[in-house]
This record gives sequence, C-alpha cells and structure tokens, in this order.
Amino acid sequence: MRPVVIAGVGMIPFERRDEDSLVDMLSMAGLEAMDDAGIGEHPIDAVYVGNMASGLFNRQVSVASSVVDRLNLMPAAADRVENGPASGGSAVKNGFLAVASGYCDAVLVIGGEKMREVIGPRATDVVACMTHPLAEYIYGVTLPGLAGMFAQLYMEKYGITREHLALVSIKNQDNGILNPNAHIHMKITMEGILTHPQSHINNPVVAEPLHLYDCCPVSDGAAAVLLTTEELAASLGKAAVEIAGVAQATDTHTLQERSDPTDLKAVTIASQKAFSMAGMEPGDIDVAELHDAFTILEIAESEHAGFFAKGEAASAIKAGETRIGGKLPINPSGGLKARGHPVGATGVAQIVELVWQLRGEAGERQVEGAANGFSLNFGGFGNNVLAFVLRRR
Amino acid sequence: MDMELEAYLRPPESEMAPYPAKVITLATGKKMVVREVTRDTVPELLEAVMPTLFIPRDYYDIVGARLYAELLGWYRYRVKDEFCIIGQVDGFLVGIVNSRMYSPELGISLHTLAIERGMRIGAHLFAAKMEHHIEYLDQEEVLITAESPIGFRRWMIEYNLEKRDGQHELGGATPYALTRELYFENKDRLVAGERPVPAELLEIAEREIKVASEDDIREKILGARRRQRR
Amino acid sequence: MSTITAYKCTNCGQVMYPHHLRCLNCNEREFEEIEPEGKAKLLTYTIINELPWGIDERGRILGVVEFENGVRALGLIKADKVKLGMKLSASMEPVRVIGGEEVLGLTYS
Repeated sequence: MRPVVIAGVGMIPFERRDEDSLVDMLSMAGLEAMDDAGIGEHPIDAVYVGNMASGLFNRQVSVASSVVDRLNLMPAAADRVENGPASGGSAVKNGFLAVASGYCDAVLVIGGEKMREVIGPRATDVVACMTHPLAEYIYGVTLPGLAGMFAQLYMEKYGITREHLALVSIKNQDNGILNPNAHIHMKITMEGILTHPQSHINNPVVAEPLHLYDCCPVSDGAAAVLLTTEELAASLGKAAVEIAGVAQATDTHTLQERSDPTDLKAVTIASQKAFSMAGMEPGDIDVAELHDAFTILEIAESEHAGFFAKGEAASAIKAGETRIGGKLPINPSGGLKARGHPVGATGVAQIVELVWQLRGEAGERQVEGAANGFSLNFGGFGNNVLAFVLRRR
Repeated sequence: MDMELEAYLRPPESEMAPYPAKVITLATGKKMVVREVTRDTVPELLEAVMPTLFIPRDYYDIVGARLYAELLGWYRYRVKDEFCIIGQVDGFLVGIVNSRMYSPELGISLHTLAIERGMRIGAHLFAAKMEHHIEYLDQEEVLITAESPIGFRRWMIEYNLEKRDGQHELGGATPYALTRELYFENKDRLVAGERPVPAELLEIAEREIKVASEDDIREKILGARRRQRR
Repeated sequence: MSTITAYKCTNCGQVMYPHHLRCLNCNEREFEEIEPEGKAKLLTYTIINELPWGIDERGRILGVVEFENGVRALGLIKADKVKLGMKLSASMEPVRVIGGEEVLGLTYS
C-alpha cells in the first residue's frame, strides 16, 4: 500500500440550510476541498459520497452520480457509501483504499446530509431505521433511547454522574463558539442545565438518563477531503497531513445480543487496528475528534479507544484535561454536540478538523503543536465503527 | 377622542388580576425577566414583531401578522380582556405571548413569538401565559391552537391537551384545552420562574424594552450565515 | 402470535434472538425454535420522551430483559416503578401502528 495524503479539505457551515439542496451542499464542500488542494485541471479519478438517508430525507438516491454531474467531474468513478452515522468514515476509508492500492491517484470524498427537510419526529424515525426491524424498531426505540439504555449501565458501572456528562456538553459548546462552521454557537452553564433547581425545565429528559443537552442537534451540512498520492500532494505543495492508520470493526446489530452491553468492542478493535497500522499508541495522539452524538459516548469512546483506562475518563474531564489546552483535547471543533451532526457529513468533518489542527490552521481552536490526530466515527449504535490516525508529515 | 363614540366601539373591560413578574435562569445562565406589560408598550413591541411578517420559515409570518393585529387591537381598545407577557434578557426583548379572557372561566390563548431561539424561550413564555390564566386569573380552562408543527408538538403533546369540539377564534382551527387539572399535573415539569425578581434586574427590564434591529431580528430567527474560514 | 420465536443452536446451545443464519458462537446453521421461558429480569431500560413520527405520546418506557432460559429481548414496559433487576412477565400487545396496521410486540409488566 502506498501512503495517502490529504491534499485538500473543505466544509460548509453546518446549520439548518433550507435554501441548499443536498447535492448542492455536497458539491460546494467538494469544490472547496478541490480548491484547497489546488488540484486545478488534474483529473480526479473517483468520488465517494458518504450519506445515510437521502432516499428517506430528500427523495433522492444515487447522489454520488448527481455530485459528479454537478461538479463536472465526469467520467470519474462515483459511489455513494452508506454506513449510518459512519457513512462519512466509510467513504474516507473507501477513498483511502482506492489511492493506497494504486488504483487511483486523486479521490474526492464528500460526506453530507440534509436532515432538516423533514420535521423532527420524522427525522427521529428515519434515524431509527438503523435499528433491528423486528427486535427494536417496532417498539419505537430511538437512537437516544439506545444511548439511554447504554448510559444507564455505563454510568452505574463506572460511577459517571450527570455532572460529568454536563462537563462534556459545556466544553463542546464552548469549543463550538470558536468554530465558524459549527451549527451551535451557544454558551451553556452548569447552573442553566443542571444545578439550578429548575434546570430540568431548560434541560428536559429526552431518553432517561439523557437530557436535551446530552444530545447532538439535527443539522444540514457537508464536508470534503481530497486524497492523493504523496507525489501529487507534493507537486501541489499540500503534503502536510497523511492518513497513517484506518480501521473498521463491527459488533452485533442489537444492543441485547452483546454479551456485555457496556463493552464497545467495535470501538476497541477498530482503534487498536488503526494505531497498529500507524505504528502509534494512544499516548502519541495530540488531538482527538470523537463521536459524541450523546455526551456519554465521548466518555465511553475515549476509554475504549485507549486514551483512558475504563472508568478514568470522567475524572480527567472534571480536571479539564480534554479542553483545548489540556493534556488531550477532545473535540476542539465542538464535536457532534456543537459542530452539529448531519449524519453522513460527520466522519469527514472530523477528519477535516484534524487536518486543520495538524496544519496549524485551526484558528482560535488550535491545539498547540498538534502532530498526530485520531478520529472515531460511530455507526449504528456502536455496531460499525471506523477509527483514523492522522499524522503530520 | 370622542369618548361617547368609544363607549359604543370598545368591548367592555373586566377587572383582571395582575401577573407578578418572575425571573427564569436559561440554559445559557442568563436571566430572563418575565413580566406583564401594559398597553403603552405596544408601539415598541410592534417594532419587534414587524420584521417577522416577512419570514415564512416556521410560520413566523402568520404568527407575526396575527400577533401584530392583536397587539394593535389591544392598544386601540378593540379587543376584550387581552393581556400580554414579555421576556427580556438584559433589557432586550426575547419573546412575546398574548392571550385573552373570553369569560371569567374560559381563556383563549392567542400567540407565542420567540425572537431568540434555542433556549426554550417560547416554551417558557407559553408556560407563563398558562400560569397567568390558571393561577392568577383563576380560570378553569384555556383553549389553544397551533399554527406551526413546532407549536403543536410543544403544547398539544407536551401538556397532553384535550381536543375540544367547535372552533378556536384563530381561523376556526381545532381547539385544544388546558384544564386546571392538566396545568397542575404538568406544572413542575414545565413552568419555571422565581419570585420576586431581584430589584436590579426588574429595574433594567422596566426602564426600557430594548428591541434589536430588524437585521438582528432576522438573523436571530433565521440563524446567522457565517462566512469566515476556520 | 403469543410470543416471539427465539433460536437455540443445535450444536453448541447458544441462545439467540433475533434470527441469525449462522450461530453467533460456533457458526453452525441449525437451530431449534424456542420461546422465552420463565420470568424476565430487567437488564436495562430508558424512558423516551421524544418519540418517532406516528407515536403521539411521551414517557414510553422500553427495556431489555433476560428470560430464565437465556433469551434476551427489547420490549415495552408497563409498570409504575421501574428498577434494574426487577422481574417481569411478558405478553404480546399492540406496540405501534406501522403503515396503518397495528403491530404486536413484547410487553413486560
């Protein structure tokens, strides 16, 4: 396999984007990545589009073909990649393999979703289509519901409190304010969401024990990366960041069939394989973008990925270690909580943030001297996970 | 003004108990003063409502247009027993709700307009309106309707309102009722606020109703479009 | 339908629900159809207030139970007080309307 460099990145602000169609959003982000790379007229061999539910949200399918047309990239190969909330990560993986294998020299990977085309409860239903049709979906279970059931056990097992969850939320919202592309620009306080006697009215239960501010928003948006060979990147003067490790792992579809539902096996396996491929360990990582669709997941993923021993992340968070400027900044972008979570876009957006960090272009969110980054894209409810290790060259 | 003529044109006014101001701590940690306002504030309120008439998103235009008419009607003494409660943060107007008393027992909820979004301001002010109907005006039931799906979910489902026959005065839509029983069942979960309002906060709120510029109001409702990189 | 159909691998005895084509433990492909037996122990639960389109309620309680014969299943909980580890009985009741039709599912009380 040959090295794969991320020569260009692009992202359009995540928010509610009524005026932009899905294909337009995907195309705008793609064009930004192409311009960032300065690819000019050099051919792009393939386009991968990570998107979960364009058929259900937008009555459109085969959107990768549409994007190639919109951007005039014909005759590039084009595929839409679907892996639930890890569609973006899977799209990047596919792009990586195309370049690493020698099959392609330049691949554009775009992740995007336009969820706000439907009303809230319909979006909840679309997302719930990930669950098992007979054993889960018919009961009206939602992703927050699965996360709630997981949180119940994880919090009890490791002594995690609502205060710990609130600290994650507050940190990510603080980081989001520094991110011009973030969906949510709103500072929240511990008093407002937890400690005030009436905070439950601001912060009602969504799926016990998870509250409103434990859950990411519903967003529209797109992000893109242009992957190339070392030689091509060098010729463009854009050879700063490479994908050093990429891995994927799966677990049972239903929560109930996991022998230990608190054990996120797919996260552990994918992370270990990605580190092994990169020749690195968690201790080598300077900045991480984790998949905090729910605050409990940032905590659980940071442990399963190997950054903290099981049960230790909560105290690290309380000590401020995961803030920008701390020992291991997690989600300097604001994470899914504040940056937003257009489902198919997230896996790509995480990598875009890491590239900015490793290039020293993250503005007010910059983690000083960041040289190695890690991202985790959590598909389904942890049953299909991708992990990436990025290295500054 | 010809007061003899006005006597024919004005609907008779009932004695209405005042709504005691309260303060709510929002998720942002900011304090929102929630207080009833008098007719003379209507011109300032109309300044804030006007931009919404041209925002179709989330039905702001119809809510704004109807609220504008109701506030103007109240100002000009052409609406029976209307009241208006506003929310202010640092003196800035963040939301308006209005209602009226149909009879001593029956209230008619009119409109809820949130100018700042994302902090449940609409939900808090709607709850304040219901608090006034039930606890201070001592009514038995309030008829409610929703122009927007957000409203429908927030009220009909959150409060488990009872569907009623007949027509709500807002366009003849299906009315849903909040009864005293339903109100008290849901009060702890949905009605926030502390009394009395600390003197300094109340003074700032009462001194001036600060209304953001038309551009700012549009941005608050539609969301800012950030064009900078990184 | 009086209950769900679960599966027991004829080779290694692994109990599974829902259906798999290959045993989760030994990869063999022959299964005995079984039913959940005995009381159901509550392993975890949640109370959902934001429900999907079509379910116009709030406060729906869902939980995962383990039956005495090892079958684990998610279902709707109808109980006033819910505690981890509590013992419940299962029945099949209407749980949702999908495409205009009532769907039956496991209900624990």
